Formats: sequence, structure tokens, C-alpha cells
Amino acid sequence: MGGCAAHSPAVKPASVGMGDRPPPLAAIRAHTDRLFDIKVCIRPFRTRGPNLDVEQIGDAFVVHNYGHGGSGWSLSWGSAAMAVQKAMSTSPKEIAVIGCGIIGLTSAITAQRAGAKVTIYTREMLPRTRSVRANGGWTPDSRIALAAEAPANFGAVWEEMARFSWKTLRSYLGLPGNPVAFTEQYRLSDTPFGEEAPRDPDTPPLPPPSWTGLPTQGSDFGRYADRIQDITSKPQILTGDYNPFPVKYVSRQSGLFFNFTEYGHLLTSDFFAAGGKIEIRDFHAPSELAQLKEKVVINCPGFAARDWWKDKHMVPVRGQTGWLIPQPEVNYGLTYRNTQVLSKTDGIMVIALENGELKGYNDSDESVRRGESERAVRVIEELYSRFPAIAS
Amino acid sequence: MGKIILAVAVLAALASGVQAGTLNGVYTDIQAERGAVQYRQHCARCHGAGLAGTFETPPLIGRFIPYWQGTSLDVLADYINTAMPLDRPGSLGRAANADILAFILKTNGFPAGAKELSADSDAQKAIQFDSLKRPPEVQNVKTR
Repeated sequence: MGGCAAHSPAVKPASVGMGDRPPPLAAIRAHTDRLFDIKVCIRPFRTRGPNLDVEQIGDAFVVHNYGHGGSGWSLSWGSAAMAVQKAMSTSPKEIAVIGCGIIGLTSAITAQRAGAKVTIYTREMLPRTRSVRANGGWTPDSRIALAAEAPANFGAVWEEMARFSWKTLRSYLGLPGNPVAFTEQYRLSDTPFGEEAPRDPDTPPLPPPSWTGLPTQGSDFGRYADRIQDITSKPQILTGDYNPFPVKYVSRQSGLFFNFTEYGHLLTSDFFAAGGKIEIRDFHAPSELAQLKEKVVINCPGFAARDWWKDKHMVPVRGQTGWLIPQPEVNYGLTYRNTQVLSKTDGIMVIALENGELKGYNDSDESVRRGESERAVRVIEELYSRFPAIAS
Repeated sequence: MGKIILAVAVLAALASGVQAGTLNGVYTDIQAERGAVQYRQHCARCHGAGLAGTFETPPLIGRFIPYWQGTSLDVLADYINTAMPLDRPGSLGRAANADILAFILKTNGFPAGAKELSADSDAQKAIQFDSLKRPPEVQNVKTR
């Protein structure tokens, strides 16, 4: 699950011409009784960045591919390409992939495309993995590493992953059901951009840190988006009659996002169509990988790596999304008063962003906090209540 | 032939240090009652009062059995000791976790016995996680 990757305040807004006038926007019906699902996930954050190391377990050769924080959906294809490159170096006919989240599924398809027969061993199919409890925006550097702990070459590795993923995602644009699509993200503010908004008294304070050391502030997380500015759009300030919202300061930026249902279905179907097999099973110790018939294994356990592989660099980062009943007529997203919404085919995602990137750090409580999602819905409800009423 | 396979299995089990299986009564009812109290307090919030899990949280019944069947009980106990509860891993202590494990075994239909399940890892290593011979709900199976 990413945060809001759009609208880096460092980027100067572009001017807006006639052709860029926003179309009329359908209103989001934000009411708490339309909140039909709340999902909680744990982002598999790894302080050093994703683990792509290789190790030998018995006679099996294991390539790790886990720890992508809030950037798994976004970086998956590039990360899979790197893992498969290592996995194919011994010319295996068969490859095992552990895990069927977005990293496992894209690794499996990439291995098939490299010529291997692939079996995915997993506890859950994609719809029940933590991957689909993300928010689904293209957020390639959302809590991907701590800047101080990432290896010196991580920026370059990240860029390669991000660019490769971006190119791969191009081939999923424009398909029926929009598995991957562009959308407009509006950023609304009561104060000029760049000025800190006064703290909302209703915002719950950040609890005292449950960890020692870094991060102490959001800027401790590695930031790499500037490396791919050439392929991402810039925010535009919308003023006067170009501003479609009853809020003084508004900008807009185009961004990519995933519709989980369609994209997940497509990837799973592609995997099976290429002869892939899925075996439901659980693993209890790394040594069990040596019992598999495949002697090359791509290991994509996500957050489970903390306990399964005793990876001390894994830190849970809790995230919660609320889901309003889908509105196909709404084709945009927005951020206002620490609340983000994004209209997707399977619902309108609502997420509370207060307290920035430290929110949820080292918190592995996966139980639902309904009040948080209801507060976020009420922010959006209040926003749309300011639009003029439609005469009957 | 069946006897030979059984004999080989027993020998293999002894050779690996496994002396008993969860079908042989490896916990007591009183221990499982203590475990039930702990479970309700620390585990039920995610895994549910009936251990059935949720859409997001794995169940501790049903497919839980084939997932762990064939491993020695220390593997499951170590997992609980180090990874659970999810939001405070390792906070309950080995003794409480052994009680919870007893409750999980009981709920799954494994029989109680005369001796408590030890919290000691070596003792747990000697116990194999068995599969049930029949679903726990079925009291009287008709055979044709």
C-alpha cells in the first residue's frame, strides 16, 4: 500500500491551458453507511530495501524477492525481472515460487516468460493475500527503505525496477476492465501549497514511538521519485473557473493505479494459460524448501519473512483502507485534509493519511479500526456537502 | 504389508526422536481450559472465537491440520512463541503458549490425555502433529 505519491511539493506546478480544463466531475457519495468494507494490511517494509539475495538451502538455490514496503504493486515487474535473471542462471527447467501475492505472481509469470515451468506454492490465492489490502496507487517509492540503511547502490537498483515495471505496465493499459489505468488525482488545500495547514483538533495524535532509532520523521525514508521524473507527470495548479472544487487551493496530477480485481484475475489467468500450477501448502522452516522437486526457488513470502526467515530487518507498517460502494461515473481521486480517496472498479478507496509516513510504523495490529475510516469518510462527506444542491 | 509399513513408520519416528503423536493424548483438559482463557484474551480478536479465522486471518482448524501435519510440535510452538500475537510477538511466554496450543489441539478434535503438554522445546520435539482419522464433528461414522 502506498501513500500519496502524487504532488511532490518540490515540483513546480505547470501552467494550465484551455485543453487542460477539467471535465465536469461526478460527486463522490461519501457517507458512512456506504462504507462496505475495511481492509487492514501490513506493508512488508524492510529497512535495507527489498531482499534480492541468493542463498543455498540444502541442494536448492533460493532467490529472495520480498520486502517492498508500500511499493510492491508498483515495482513488482522490475523486481521479478531481477530475481528471475538470477534464478535462470543455472538453466533450470522448473522453478518454484513461494507466495502468491503480487510479487510472487509477477515473479512466476516472468519465470514462465523466461522459459521455465513454474509451480507456485502458497498458503493463499491472490485475493486473500496482504497484497490486495493495499490502496493500489502507483507509488514506487512509498516506504521502500530507510535512506540511512539502504545500500549505496539502491537508488540505481530502484530506478531499474521502477522503469522496467513502468514499461511492463504499459502492456496492461487499455484492456477491458482497465486492470491498470491512469486517473486524475486532485489535491485540495485550505492553505497555500507549501504552507503547513493548521492541525485539525479531531486528528488523533501519533502514539509514542514503539521503536528506537530511525525513522524519527518522514524524511528518513528513502526518496527516489526524482530519478524517474521524465516519465511521470507534474502537478498543475487549478484556479478560477478551472477549479472544480469549493476549496481555495487545488492542483491536479495524472497517476497510474491498479484495479485489483481485473488485474489479479488477468495475471492469474495468464499464469494458468502458460501451464502454471498452484499448490496450496504452508512452510514452517526454510529447510523445507530443499524438499521441493524444483531446485531453483524464488522466495516471495512478503511480511511472513520476518518470522519464517527470521529477517530482523523486516518492520510491519500498518495500513487501513475503507471502501465505499463503487461509482463507475467517478473517474478521479483526491486528497483533502489528510484524507485520500480514489475511485476504482471495486470501490472508492478512502484512507486517512494523518501523521504522515510514520503512521503505522512498527504496528502489526491487523484488526479493523472503524472509527478511523469513518472519520475519513466524513471529511469527504463534508467537502461534497459544500457543492450547490441540485434543484429537483 | 500394512504391518510392515506401520513398523517402518514407527522405527522412523523413533529414529527422528518423535515418540508420540497428537492423536495420543498429549495435553490435559485442565490445561486446555487454561489455554481457552488465554486464547479468548489474546488470540480470538484475529482468529475468531471459533478458531475459524476470517477472510484475512488464517484459521486454526480445518486446513490448519494438513498445514502442520507431519511436523514435530516444537515447530508450531516456536512459531507461536516468536510470531504471535501478531501485534506483540513473543509477549505471552512459553507456558501460556503451550496452554493455548493444548486448547487448539482440543478444539481440533485431538484427544486429551493424562499429562500436560510441556513448554519445553525438546519435549515438544518428540511429539508429531498428526492428522485426524475422521472429522471431529462426526461421532459415529457409518461404514457400508
